[in-house]
Amino acid sequence: MEKNFDVIVIGAGFGGSVAAKLCSDAGLKTLLLERSENVGDKVISGLTIPFQGFLFAPTYIRDGNPPFERPSDGIDNYIIKDIDKGDIYVDNSLKVPKPLSPIISFGYNTYCKPFCQWLSRKAIDAGVELRTSTTVIDFIKEDGTIRGILTDKGENIRSKIIINSEGSQGLLAIKAGMRKKYPPETISLADTYDYVMSKKDIDKIFGFSVKMCWGWDEQKIAPPLGYGNGLMVWPYRNSLHFMQDQCLRMDEKKVPNLKKVFNEYHHNITSKLSWWRDLVSPRIKLRARTWEGFEIYVGLDKNLRKLPKITDGMILIGDVAGLESTELCDGVPAAWFSAEIAAGVAIEAIKANNASKLFLKRYTERISRHPIIQWSISGINRYNLRLAQQEHSFKTLKKYIHNGWGLGTLSSFTTPFLQLLFLYIRKDPNIITKWIKMYFRYFQNWLHENFDYGHQDSENDIAHKKITKKETSFLFFLRIIDRITKKLIGMKKMQNLIVIPLANSMNRCLEIILPIFEPIYSLFLKLTYPIRNKLSKKLISFVDGANPSLFSI
Amino acid sequence: MTKISKKFPGVEWIEGTGDFIKIDKNKCSGCANCIRVCLAGCFEIFEKTARIISLDECMECASCWYACSEDAIQFFWPLGGTGYKCEWG
Repeated sequence: MEKNFDVIVIGAGFGGSVAAKLCSDAGLKTLLLERSENVGDKVISGLTIPFQGFLFAPTYIRDGNPPFERPSDGIDNYIIKDIDKGDIYVDNSLKVPKPLSPIISFGYNTYCKPFCQWLSRKAIDAGVELRTSTTVIDFIKEDGTIRGILTDKGENIRSKIIINSEGSQGLLAIKAGMRKKYPPETISLADTYDYVMSKKDIDKIFGFSVKMCWGWDEQKIAPPLGYGNGLMVWPYRNSLHFMQDQCLRMDEKKVPNLKKVFNEYHHNITSKLSWWRDLVSPRIKLRARTWEGFEIYVGLDKNLRKLPKITDGMILIGDVAGLESTELCDGVPAAWFSAEIAAGVAIEAIKANNASKLFLKRYTERISRHPIIQWSISGINRYNLRLAQQEHSFKTLKKYIHNGWGLGTLSSFTTPFLQLLFLYIRKDPNIITKWIKMYFRYFQNWLHENFDYGHQDSENDIAHKKITKKETSFLFFLRIIDRITKKLIGMKKMQNLIVIPLANSMNRCLEIILPIFEPIYSLFLKLTYPIRNKLSKKLISFVDGANPSLFSI
Repeated sequence: MTKISKKFPGVEWIEGTGDFIKIDKNKCSGCANCIRVCLAGCFEIFEKTARIISLDECMECASCWYACSEDAIQFFWPLGGTGYKCEWG
């Protein structure tokens, strides 16, 4: 049996469903294939999708109501010097301060399954044909060009172009002769525990912060420094996700006995770390344990980074294109960005009736020009933690953690962030207010558990209330922002002479300024806490009761 | 048919995966890397080479495939709609 489509997308993960929807939106006949029985059956979590993912995501994600578990206002880093003596240093500098937190958040903690299902339903709504329980086993190749796929059901399905988002192992990309098996030292095995815990307890113990633990190797409380993650705990709505992950090879040809050491780390941290032992342990129940191998340092290897992302008839997106983040170990933003770029190129290719490698080259070029993708695949703080262990220098350890998961991260992230920010503002003068509305809408959705395709909150009668004075002021505030943005966009000279050069040099400036600024900022936060806390409560109460139409696009 | 495991709660395995992991005995050096990385305990050494005990609790992470220094392990996805699934991923 043979069928024809304009586009076939392989894999209904974070990238695949997005690429498929965008192709279908453009009128292309699109097939989305997924090997599991239900979308999201084979994904593992322990995930904060960072804010940049949402800000620069395809508009239907930013302007929609995706399901997530809890906003994340930042990270508490526990740097464990001596677990037995309780000698622990805490770096919690990377945190959105109140009153903005938790509404304006650092990211959104998410179960992958419901989120991927949300994305796939959006794709179906756009006209995509989704076929689950279908494993692609090979490609139809004619004159060196990929023309379709073969499934495990014996079907040959042809298409003008294929977008491959099969995930980090890249088995099909290897089969197509594009990629190769990554070396084990670039791969991490992520061991995750899903614990049920009451929302009340999570609110009290975790609030909105992800907790990360790092320790000297000899402490055996987390995977060795620089060879994967330390240990991370994500607070969800009614559950916790605990993850430890470690590279598959630490020295030449020597693979650690992960089965043994993971159990050892898990036992040590949960029995010796006081907040876990005394506060968390008595209040949790293990619900699931899963694991997955994923690329962690592929972006840091020059040769692997150069592996092709396109071939005649096919584009790779997300993890299979080597776009996993080296610091955050979170490939979702890059999967979304690359999916949008790939869909754009696929639409152009079909219009030009040309899916050759030469034509698709523009995809690789756009990926290499994307400031946040390039930032995310090149961060070296996590990798460098091994140097801190070798030196056994606490100062070095503190520095890398601060630069990777503390406020120091601003000195590497700000320039790429601002570059993309200005690009988006120039494209859409109303985007700042759309971002503000997104944050408020997401938070209101979280409070009321109102997500697309989910149950509707019966108490959400606020939608029918009259607009209050406060709400009118909020709308006025948004209108002012829109006006200012439009004026600033018109000032081309100022942008070219001041704003863009300043953004480009911001990382360097922050490297110099941050050490002076941070103690002052920290003191300011301490002194203003009571007033910020009061304001925060007022703001949350406003979002809780506000008419949802205020935040919709 | 689905199976569950006492060792790994919250996960189900749907039967009918096919032989998605294979070991080439001629290439295997018996280094036991696959045994050390497999959290499900799918492998053992038998007569100086690795062999599969069972893939019943395999989480399809492909770590054995990555860690095999001799490229003796072939790994491909299970047949569509089979293998492990989890509600809490």
